[in-house]
Amino acid sequence: MAKIEFDKVEVGQTLPPLDVPVIEHANLVRYAGASGDFNPIHNDPDFARKAGLDGTISHGMYVMAQVGRLCTSWAEQKDIAYFGVTFKAMTKLGEKLTVVGTIKKKFEKDGKKTVTVLVEAKNEAGEVKAGGDLVVNAV
Amino acid sequence: MAVTKDIVGKKLDRFDFTVERGKIKEFCLAINEKNPIYFDVEEAKKAGYSDVPAPPTFPTVIMFWGYPKIWNDMAELGIDLSKILHLKEEYTYHKILYPGKVYAQSEISDVKVGRAEIVTFKTTIYDEKNDPILSAEMAIFIRKD
Repeated sequence: MAKIEFDKVEVGQTLPPLDVPVIEHANLVRYAGASGDFNPIHNDPDFARKAGLDGTISHGMYVMAQVGRLCTSWAEQKDIAYFGVTFKAMTKLGEKLTVVGTIKKKFEKDGKKTVTVLVEAKNEAGEVKAGGDLVVNAV
Repeated sequence: MAVTKDIVGKKLDRFDFTVERGKIKEFCLAINEKNPIYFDVEEAKKAGYSDVPAPPTFPTVIMFWGYPKIWNDMAELGIDLSKILHLKEEYTYHKILYPGKVYAQSEISDVKVGRAEIVTFKTTIYDEKNDPILSAEMAIFIRKD
C-alpha cells in the first residue's frame, strides 16, 4: 500500500478485490478468542439452533475485519479517517466471500484531499453481507 | 422485556484497557491479516509508524476484552442476547491506535422501538492525555420470533 494520490484515482475505479478463505468453525472460534466476542451464536451450534438459526453464524465483525483487510491492502492505516459498514445478511459456515471496493467520491476542501470508497463483502451468489464506506486522506 | 427509549443517554462504566503488541498480533492472525507492520516494530517504523499500529477493526477488542460486562449491561437494559444481530459498526479515527493504555466510555446514543428494535452504542476511546483516539458506533438489531 502507499499514499493515495488524489489525481491518480477516479470515481468508478475499482480496487483489486480480496478473496477470503472459506469461513469455517475454527475461524470463528479463533476470532472469538482474539476479539473477546463470545456470544454463543458464533461458537455453540446447539445454542445457535435453540436461538432459531440453522447453526452458528459468523461474527459480523469477522466479516468487517475482512473488509478492513481490503482497506489496508489499498490505503495506509494512518490515512484512514473513517470506516463503517452495515451488516445486510448473516454469513454462514462454508461461505466464500470476496471483498470489493469502488471509488465513490473524491473531494478537496480547505486544502484537504479526501477519497471515499464503497466497500462490500459478497458471497459467491453476489449477496452482500456487509457494505459501507472507507474514507481516506489523500495527497 | 423489551428495550425502551428511556435508556438513551445512559452511560456505561468508563474503563481502561492496555493495548498490547501481542494482542494486535493475535487479532491479525485471527483475521488473516499478514502485513508485517502489524507484527514487527521495525517494519512499522520503516512504514512511518512509531510502533505497531492496531488494524481498523481492532477497537472491537477493546470493547469486548476491556468491558466483558457489556453482556450483563445489555441484559439489564432489556436486550435478549439470543436475539441480537449486529446491524452497523462505524469508526471515526482521529489518531493512530498504538500499544499502550487507553480509556473508553460508552453510552447509548439511540434506541428505535416498534417493529424493529435497534440500540446504538457510541464509544469514545481516549489516550492517557484524554485526547480522543477514535469513536465507534455499534448498532444492534433485536430479532423478533
